[in-house]
Amino acid sequence: MLRAAIAVLARAAPVTRYIVEGDSMEPAYSAGERVVVNRLAYLLRPPVAGDVVVVRDPEDRGRLLLKRVSADPAAATARGACYVLGDNAAASRDSRAFGPVPRRAVIGKAWFRY
Amino acid sequence: MSRFTFKSLVSRSLRVIDRIGAPEPVHAHCDIPCGIYDPHLAQIGALTVIRMNQLIDALPAQPDAASRHSFVRYTLVKEEHAELVKREVRVIYGDYFKPEHADKYPELQGLVWKLLKGAGKGRQEINMEAAQQLLADLHRFAEIFWETKGVATKKQPSNQAVGGEIVVPA
Repeated sequence: MLRAAIAVLARAAPVTRYIVEGDSMEPAYSAGERVVVNRLAYLLRPPVAGDVVVVRDPEDRGRLLLKRVSADPAAATARGACYVLGDNAAASRDSRAFGPVPRRAVIGKAWFRY
Repeated sequence: MSRFTFKSLVSRSLRVIDRIGAPEPVHAHCDIPCGIYDPHLAQIGALTVIRMNQLIDALPAQPDAASRHSFVRYTLVKEEHAELVKREVRVIYGDYFKPEHADKYPELQGLVWKLLKGAGKGRQEINMEAAQQLLADLHRFAEIFWETKGVATKKQPSNQAVGGEIVVPA
């Protein structure tokens, strides 16, 4: 019952809890760390370089990725799309591989760890 | 209330909520192979353990100085190669395999346990049966490894004096 209530609340809530898997965001975020993501962060302003965001994986829609927004090296990113990179470049599959991600694929901004 | 305690209060509350409903995983996975892994060397190690068992078995019943010397050398090589099996299995299991592989192959954890124990036995004993079992278990380990990379495998003769087979990409 409590579980169901939390599930319903979580769906509607403007913030979501996530647990990090993998090490492509080392050293900023390590595997196993828990992070709260603000889903309303980009209602009024677009993601800017430096933001850590949760995005839907363009290559696997059921999967969410934690990446950092970067300036597009080719400066060719269409308006409303963003170029994301893993901090640990050697261990990351990101926009270098799958290109910029559309704004609608950005779930929210990493807010704080807990 | 200071900011510090407020933070830990929020943190503690969220952790309680996590216990009721787990947070969703967000992937920051290493998707580019960080290294080169191959179960070949482990199989060569097991074949060597088998070969040393063969050579020790063939030593004369009444040893002279030369055959005693050979016996020590065979045992030393058997030790080293059984340890090589352990090392290779440990690296592939620890560095290559991911939790999703363990989920997909429920036998994997038990198989690795068996391999490490089997390699230990390979060192401790003159035991052809155990050495053959070690190789057979490594065949399965190699099949699973290549399957997780979407690579088909085949068993082929080792083409060595020892005989036996190894699992390689088809």
